[in-house]
Amino acid sequence: MPSSDPLPPKEAALFRKLLKCYEMKQYKNGLKLAKQILSNPKFTEHGETLAMKGLTLNGLGRRDEAYKYVRLGLRNDLRSHVCWHVYGLLQRSDKKYDEAIKCYRNALKWEKDNLQILKDLSLLQIQMRDLEGYKETRHHLFTLRPSQHASWIGFAMSYHLLGDYKMANNILETFSQSQTSIDAHDYRQSELLLYQNQILIESSQLQQALDHLQKFEPQIVDKLAVRETLGDLYIKLKQEDKAVPIFEALIQRNPENVLYYEQYMTARCVSSPSDIVAVYREFQQQYPRALCPRRLPLDIASGEEFRLVADEYLRRGLRKGIPPLFVNVRSLHQQPEKANIIESLTLQYFENLTRSGHFSREDADAGVPVEPASALVWTALFLAQHYDYMRDTNRALEYINVAIDHTPTLIELLITKGRIFKHAGDAVEAYVWLEEAQSMDTADRYINSKCAKYMLRANMVIEAEEICAKFTREGVSAMDNLNEMQCMWFQTECALAFQRMGRWGEALKKCHEVDRHFAEIIEDQFDFHTYCMRKMTLRAYVGLLRLEDVLRCHPFYFKTAKCAIEVYMRLYDKPLKSETTIEEIDIENLPPSELKKLRSKQRKAKKKAELESAQAAQAQVKREQHQKSKQQANQETDPDAPQLDELIPEKLERTDEPLNKAIEFLKPLQQLAKERIDTHLLAFEVYYRKNKLLLMLQSILRARALNPEHPVLHSCIIRFMKALANAKESEPFNEHVQRVLDKATKELIGVKTPQQLNDEFIAKHLATSILHLYEGARGLYELDASKKQSAINMITSFNLSKMRLEEAVQVYTALRDGDIFGDCENEAEEYKLLCQQRFQYARIFRNVEELEAQLQEKEAAKLRAEQEQQQLNHLDTNEVSVTSTPASIAAAS
Amino acid sequence: MNIRCAKPEDLMTMQHCNLLCLPENYQMKYYFYHGLTWPQLSYVAEDDKGGIVGYVLAKMEEPEPGEESKHGHITSLAVKRSYRRLGLAQKLMNQASQAMVECFNAQYVSLHVRKSNRAALNLYTNSLKFKIIEVEPKYYADGEDAYAMRRDLRELADDDSKPKTKDGGDELSAHDHSKHTHRGGAHNHSGHDGHCC
Repeated sequence: MPSSDPLPPKEAALFRKLLKCYEMKQYKNGLKLAKQILSNPKFTEHGETLAMKGLTLNGLGRRDEAYKYVRLGLRNDLRSHVCWHVYGLLQRSDKKYDEAIKCYRNALKWEKDNLQILKDLSLLQIQMRDLEGYKETRHHLFTLRPSQHASWIGFAMSYHLLGDYKMANNILETFSQSQTSIDAHDYRQSELLLYQNQILIESSQLQQALDHLQKFEPQIVDKLAVRETLGDLYIKLKQEDKAVPIFEALIQRNPENVLYYEQYMTARCVSSPSDIVAVYREFQQQYPRALCPRRLPLDIASGEEFRLVADEYLRRGLRKGIPPLFVNVRSLHQQPEKANIIESLTLQYFENLTRSGHFSREDADAGVPVEPASALVWTALFLAQHYDYMRDTNRALEYINVAIDHTPTLIELLITKGRIFKHAGDAVEAYVWLEEAQSMDTADRYINSKCAKYMLRANMVIEAEEICAKFTREGVSAMDNLNEMQCMWFQTECALAFQRMGRWGEALKKCHEVDRHFAEIIEDQFDFHTYCMRKMTLRAYVGLLRLEDVLRCHPFYFKTAKCAIEVYMRLYDKPLKSETTIEEIDIENLPPSELKKLRSKQRKAKKKAELESAQAAQAQVKREQHQKSKQQANQETDPDAPQLDELIPEKLERTDEPLNKAIEFLKPLQQLAKERIDTHLLAFEVYYRKNKLLLMLQSILRARALNPEHPVLHSCIIRFMKALANAKESEPFNEHVQRVLDKATKELIGVKTPQQLNDEFIAKHLATSILHLYEGARGLYELDASKKQSAINMITSFNLSKMRLEEAVQVYTALRDGDIFGDCENEAEEYKLLCQQRFQYARIFRNVEELEAQLQEKEAAKLRAEQEQQQLNHLDTNEVSVTSTPASIAAAS
Repeated sequence: MNIRCAKPEDLMTMQHCNLLCLPENYQMKYYFYHGLTWPQLSYVAEDDKGGIVGYVLAKMEEPEPGEESKHGHITSLAVKRSYRRLGLAQKLMNQASQAMVECFNAQYVSLHVRKSNRAALNLYTNSLKFKIIEVEPKYYADGEDAYAMRRDLRELADDDSKPKTKDGGDELSAHDHSKHTHRGGAHNHSGHDGHCC
């Protein structure tokens, strides 16, 4: 490639060596070579050499110098494609892809057919999903190198991604005709054929797809894909008889695939429930070890038939002692009829097992051999899980205690007991049981993880980290290691715990860490753009691109983003005071009662500040450790990676623009999680605070389209109306805005006033739904603060026995925190007492003193138990053999 | 319960499942590396809500010195504790092994397992007919030794019906030591020089 500013032969040779050194990552040698050229007085300003010097420095992690030299080089030689290419490479390594694309385009102006630059450009275009640009570049590459396979594949791929299936297929068709000899077992060829077949299917050319598959089947090594696709195509093309043997064979190959059975039924035109159950029975005979043919009939059957199949299924599971028996039928509980049958069956087992060791009286009468002793334990466990699902805490505890008394060493029982307490609102008691379970099998990370999760639910972050540390790498803090391993569940649970504790900065730090994992995972695809073309795994590659397009619709992201948005809104509503302003309040003129309140507030603030400074100190130590470990790590990691800003909780929680930060988390949800109503309700809250009327309206309309009956939607409408009225008073709207707002308002509530609307809403839900009533009461107070008392009475007098725990918690916390109905401490206290009677296990409704006394009692009981155990250990060995029977059950689980 | 070949969109949930169950963890890129190099080899087990409760993450290895063809390798296998005793691990392994033979002509499949993991050893030796080849001292980051195990897959080659195996008892896990993950996993999060692959 001719240079715009050519060097004489000796220097040109040095320059070529410099390029070589860069490719080989011999950066230090590269710098020496650059120096040799630049030290010649004639070439001190040589643009391309300066640029390459910069790029080499970047390889050594000296980013600032890199930019300096690359820019200098470019300035000295603006017509050099090398300089532009180098600048592009530098920007790319800094992840500034849009900038890099511009640089490559400039480079191509001076050297339009440079293969390397075109390839690099195409990678950035696909990474940034500039699909049109990608197509042009691939076309260009194709015309330059039509003999290369990759040129054809990339060219076809670019059309496929744009949805031009016909063109994509034509390119691949022409390409395959030009292929001559094909090996007997050619994986890449096989993948290419399947890719082409996928294109045909996506373009709905099913008959062509079928013909194509039949023609090339001998060349395709992925037999499973061929069979699955063929079977599916036969069904879609109404050639069901041909599909039947295919799915029979697939079921034989993998009898645990639900889809195969469904398609088999379709192919055989079996549609009535009892016929389907009959077919499953045949499969049970054929594959006695398979789970699907036993479990799937439970979804299909109903009434007496359901009782029959459920009876068989449950007995078998209880006899064998399968711990997941309940989780495997949990989804059936959504149908009350089935839940009732399951309950009555298992109650009957429990009764008869206790009495005679049989599942039923009939068994006992018929002289059937008794069931294994463990069947009773598994039945009790099942019943405990069943009642826990029904939120009948007392009965759940009753059965789990029976099971634990019988087999105290079975870990699954302790986990279940913990879960019962969790659902009943006692996160502390829950974690205690999980900790106990964890201590009985310290080699199992699953139980360790669950224990950590329960600790986080009880806001015990430090303890959770300590537990996790048993399985994280030594020498690094568990937090850092879990972050490095992208352990999102842990980080999200941490964020939620910090949020509950009001440690906003730390909550935000965790949220941002998770967000960065998502950014990193999007970044991860870069290498695969070239890699997959080479490996020809094109179906998987297209799958990856489609996944990355919508990556942040993942539930992990939703959970974290929701937390971050809520925290940022909280920081907007009640900004953190700087420490000095707290002291400055004039206390001289306050009445004694106010002074008392202030003092108590100050005490709390002081305590919090102390806690915070301790945390800050801790964080500082950790940061230093982190820096150290990073320095060590840097020796092996890629210096290309741009350094991200360190996340410092104290800075995060004192941001100047909390709402804009919230919007950063909100945007991906609005784009990718629009089917979730919470997205739009959150969006409303943010825009309400920003006083953006049109955006509020947009959020309301989107939420309403998903579920017009959602309770929160009502209070959004009321608040919107109020904001609208306020805005009208202050300043007239632009004519177009006014028209949009008028039209939408009319559509939303007609000609009613907000008061009318709210009254009707309350009347409609008065005795039926607390969540709706709560929003109605909220509207009542919002529209007229003097109605405070009736708003509060309305919700506190709702029949508690009809309420779920989460609902009571929502009402109580609103009263306690005074955010919704103003200050109402007394009402909150009264309500708390009521809730305490209804939800006796829920910690939130109990008194601190009571809880502390309980804790002491527990410690004492533990001590007593240990002493008793020690005494027992001295007794005869018979005792030991009794406890060893249950232990063997535990070992087998 | 549903067992099927893993798709790219399953890989994140597989990572989640791995982090819950096993001490040997990898960054997402390493899962992508598997899923995009050998898309046929990894399998997942789902519950009836589509949540992933177990997985096998598998790959192919170049022939060892003196061998002619490639062999399969189990990078990681895990089933959530709450779904154990259903024989899922065994079923996952069988599906992956079958695909190794069909798509890549694997002669055998290898794996590493902790010496102390008796439940897993039992599954591999008794239910899946793996044999211990050697002990690799201090294979794991915490200093524990590993058994290197192999299962001959030639029986699967001639017969494309289902693998013949006995019912499995307990099931646990196999996994690669973190050393192996450096290539595409643990410490390589950036860089476009493509050496993940």
